[in-house]
Amino acid sequence: MENILLKDKVESLEGYFAAGGYRPLKKALAMKPAEITEEVKRSGLRGRGGAGFPTGLKWSFIPKDAQGPRYLVCNADEGEPGTFKDRELMLKNPHALIEGMAIAGYAIGAGAGYIYIRGEFAAEADLLEREIFAARGKGFIGSNILGSGFSFELYVHRGAGAYICGEETALLESLEGFKGQPRLKPPFPAVKGLFGAPTVINNVETLAAVPAIIEKGGAWYASIGTPKSAGTKLFCVSGPVNKPGVYELPLGVSFKELLEKHCGGLKAGVRLKAVIPGGSSTPVLTAAEAMAAALDYESLAAAGSMLGSGAVIVIPEGQCMVKLLQVLARFYHHESCGQCTPCREGCGWIEKILNRLEEGRGTARDIETLYSAADGMLGRTICPLADAMAMPVMSFVKKFREEFEAHAAGRCCAPEAAGKH
Amino acid sequence: MPKLTIDGKTLEVAKGTTVLEAAQQLGVHVPRYCYHPKLSVSGNCRMCLVEVEKSPKLLTACSTEAAEGMVVHTATEKVKAARRDVLEYLLLNHPLDCPVCDQAGECGLQDYYMEHSRAKSRFPAEDKVRRQKRRPLGPHLVLDNERCILCTRCVRFCAEVTKTAELEVMERGDRSFIDLKEGRALDNGYSLNIADVCPVGAWTSRDFRFKQRVWFLKKTPTVCLGCATGCLTEVHHNEGAIYRVMPRPNAETNTWLCDAGRMVYKAVQAGDRLAKGVIKNGLIELEPALRETASRIDENHAAAAVLGSPWLSVEDNAALARLAKDALKTENFSFDFNAEQGIKDGILINKDPAPNAAGARRVKAACGGLSFGELAAKVASGAVKVLVTEARAAALLKNELKAGGARLIVFAANRSEIPQGAYATLPYANYFETPGTFVNFQGLERRTVPAVAAPEGVRPLWAMVNRLAVYSGTSLHLDSAEAALKGIL
Repeated sequence: MENILLKDKVESLEGYFAAGGYRPLKKALAMKPAEITEEVKRSGLRGRGGAGFPTGLKWSFIPKDAQGPRYLVCNADEGEPGTFKDRELMLKNPHALIEGMAIAGYAIGAGAGYIYIRGEFAAEADLLEREIFAARGKGFIGSNILGSGFSFELYVHRGAGAYICGEETALLESLEGFKGQPRLKPPFPAVKGLFGAPTVINNVETLAAVPAIIEKGGAWYASIGTPKSAGTKLFCVSGPVNKPGVYELPLGVSFKELLEKHCGGLKAGVRLKAVIPGGSSTPVLTAAEAMAAALDYESLAAAGSMLGSGAVIVIPEGQCMVKLLQVLARFYHHESCGQCTPCREGCGWIEKILNRLEEGRGTARDIETLYSAADGMLGRTICPLADAMAMPVMSFVKKFREEFEAHAAGRCCAPEAAGKH
Repeated sequence: MPKLTIDGKTLEVAKGTTVLEAAQQLGVHVPRYCYHPKLSVSGNCRMCLVEVEKSPKLLTACSTEAAEGMVVHTATEKVKAARRDVLEYLLLNHPLDCPVCDQAGECGLQDYYMEHSRAKSRFPAEDKVRRQKRRPLGPHLVLDNERCILCTRCVRFCAEVTKTAELEVMERGDRSFIDLKEGRALDNGYSLNIADVCPVGAWTSRDFRFKQRVWFLKKTPTVCLGCATGCLTEVHHNEGAIYRVMPRPNAETNTWLCDAGRMVYKAVQAGDRLAKGVIKNGLIELEPALRETASRIDENHAAAAVLGSPWLSVEDNAALARLAKDALKTENFSFDFNAEQGIKDGILINKDPAPNAAGARRVKAACGGLSFGELAAKVASGAVKVLVTEARAAALLKNELKAGGARLIVFAANRSEIPQGAYATLPYANYFETPGTFVNFQGLERRTVPAVAAPEGVRPLWAMVNRLAVYSGTSLHLDSAEAALKGIL
């Protein structure tokens, strides 16, 4: 199958244009905005940031009668541990994002778009600025695009290093110049978003898929992947495989195929222990569960995990799961915004319990406490960061309990990995 | 008008009403920390989670709008578990220093812990996050960041009520702490409300700190006399001493109370409180002081004058009017105070610093007398030889008294109030000690309720006037505050 997103020789405007780029924009501008939204709905495209919300439906939530400005925001604050697909996409195919934003902006009636990019992505931000400048020079961005009367300005805004700003309403707060903290919903951003105006926020990968959908039609896109998980997805594979990296594959591809066919299998001498299929916040799968899993929204939900951002973290035998969870806990503890009680207090609590277990100071009771500390956070906060901490904890304890018990008894479960600690 | 069901009871509420408010209308208390009826909803404490049918997750009652057909449960096992969990999280890093905390006895953590948790701590004390304690912030407050539960009521109060926005949550996660923004001070004139809105012992009053355990305090509902706004207050006292004054929220005037208003009580137990008379700067027993004062008035009977006071109650002003009309039999009196009134800061503080100009004018309406200007002219010309008034009102005629040379006889509660050159000063019971009627700038009549007793021998001003009249050979028959009011209110 031909790639839709990750293509060769489209880094520059010239290359992108030569490959047929910006034809979809021209086509879109001849359509009615509502027709574009309908086409995207037909495509079955779902949010690629992690939650998988239907994109066309999200666009249609912008109130029809809303007066005043509307905004389109691209969430390029790629921070979920294990995830590095948006970065690759922006480097390799920046104009798919720029064109996708112009089309989406036209569809929702936005006059301006913002790309909120992770602060550490300095080079990517510079590249985007440069390519937006080039696109503006050709009349694809700016006022009266291609003589259509539609004007759309595009800005790049760099974050300041907070994971929480990848949550869409925290992102809006940050974009407005405030501390990045998620907002209470409702109202949802479609009604009251950036600067109080109706706003659509989409992930880089989602927006970059829009030009192809307009060019070849929603039905074509929907024919790729599975009936409910349409299209292609970028999978970023990390861990001891022969060819880690970003792979564009139809949704529904099996983990087995991704691992063995695309990633060249596990490194010599490595045995698979577990897989985190969708970024660090998604529940872990055992080797057996992973080898039987298909990578799409529904299949992974049925397997007790989530597709998330498509960040597939491969965990080898010999890796201590307590240690791994401790590293995750340190991350979430560091990144919790501190607004909601369960997350603010719970993330630190979990890290401290794991520190105890990892350092051999833990007790059997700590395992129960660990589990219930996570359980008490689940689904009880403004944003899903608490869930992102709780889900790995609960799944690790459930599936690798004996390792936690070994730690509580004063032994490391994976002595052969001790050196790697 | 959506109709919803809460714990089996159905009610109709106005559109925009939240589940928490609707529950309140039914008398169902949903526990909360960050919610405050007069502040914006922040939804961060997660204490008010309730079960709403058809919603997969528990919802915060404070931020969920009531909707038609909504079915809410506030006491299911799921809800109870969530409350227990939130309390456990809140108490993890809390120092549990209740024995030395001023909030003990009126603390949201203590109350809800007893009601909803009673669980044993599963968190080792050595793991607690340590934060700064005892930080004096501003003239009135001390902040203990360890006790703070980060509900942000204080931050929102400063942003939304005083609009001064001095406070901010710094850092993030469990390193978060409330702090002043750089270069700011917490001196917005309403800062003690922060200690009130704080549901725990993080913000405490520097004035009240360590003075009294709250469960010993008796509470007397009364009125603030700090200005013409006339806020309703509650005086907290024990064994004859006042410890603090709190707002008594009401729809007419105030939810809050300004810092200055809260400090008015200080004069009651100040070191310069007068319990005796003063003649030419010398303290003298009350009886000789009264006798001396009466004879000075008698000397100049024909040229005596009386000025009421916007700082005195209607009763006491009325007594002064009776003194002029019935004892001195003079028309040289005035109860005419026309200070500009109205809220000057958009919150509570009035342009008129005196509490009862409107009440004094009611005495004028009933008893007549001169305008303030007419009386001032008579004093300035020397036609008035002796003037009887209240200490702070005398200051209004400072220049006229100097020009005309009249002998000044004043009533004062504290020595610091006595104007320079006063000939005689008589003490009286102030309005923390005696009931009095005050008319605020809106024309609302409000009565003070005594919380503590006046110093030995000190009587209400109307009673002092009555005795002064007796020494001059007249009986005004003022044997109660009500008697003084007869024909006036």
